[in-house]
Amino acid sequence: MARMKFICDAERCIECNGCVTACKNDNEVPWGVNRRRVVTINDGVIGAEKSISVACMHCADAPCMAVCPVDCFYRTDEGVVLHDKDTCIGCAYCSYACPFGAPQFPSTGTFGLRGKMDKCTFCSGGPEANGSVAEFEKYGRNRLAEGKLPLCAEMCSTKALIGGDGDVIADIFRARVVKRQTAGKNAGADVFGWTTAYGQPDKAGAKAAPTGGKI
Amino acid sequence: MKLRTVTAALLALGFLSACNSEPGSLALNSKRPDIAPFMGADNGFMVKGWKPGDAKSWQEEINKRNQQQSEYIKIK
Repeated sequence: MARMKFICDAERCIECNGCVTACKNDNEVPWGVNRRRVVTINDGVIGAEKSISVACMHCADAPCMAVCPVDCFYRTDEGVVLHDKDTCIGCAYCSYACPFGAPQFPSTGTFGLRGKMDKCTFCSGGPEANGSVAEFEKYGRNRLAEGKLPLCAEMCSTKALIGGDGDVIADIFRARVVKRQTAGKNAGADVFGWTTAYGQPDKAGAKAAPTGGKI
Repeated sequence: MKLRTVTAALLALGFLSACNSEPGSLALNSKRPDIAPFMGADNGFMVKGWKPGDAKSWQEEINKRNQQQSEYIKIK
């Protein structure tokens, strides 16, 4: 069975926000909620600016599931982390636990009213019947049940964002990295990985990478 | 003596049963009744070429679309 995942290729993302727009439009996401967003680092620095599209990563060991006090999350056989809005109380514990900032809360009322949590569903709806109106109104489209992949990935113009079976998309990304490395360019983790966050090991002030030895 | 021992054991068993607790888990309902995607959607937007209800057929369709994301395969 497929284990659904997203990968964003930082070398290809051009910060067009097409994925964000496609997600908002197709799922009719409420005002103030962005299930997907594009994050840019080193903005304006020539040669160093990188963008990446971020949403729920459908973690194998999801922290949102672990902290939810009403246990509204569940994982499908395809590895997609979904939640039940009928159970959610909008406490936002998941928002604090998530390292990607995926859980979003609509704020449509007065006095900072916080509604039920909303997040990327990997275009696979929720507990309601597949493709039903009830499912669409609460969670958006169920493209997986239509035999399709998430719209953000399928419409990405540069194919920076790829989504689907983890093994397959990892192979697609690996092929790109190998091709770039063969051409003598930086690729893979050299572009957007450990060194992006912690610096190059040979530069002053860089933190030492863990050696993986025994503790 | 024997009766006293048996009575004491039965009483201890009765008292200790109150110390039982349900097994705890972080995600008790991690598997919920959700209809699998291979069952298809009743909304008229289904992709043609696979049979709803057939997991293998759905998997093949998804794999096909997965591969379409690689232009190295497209240009071969």
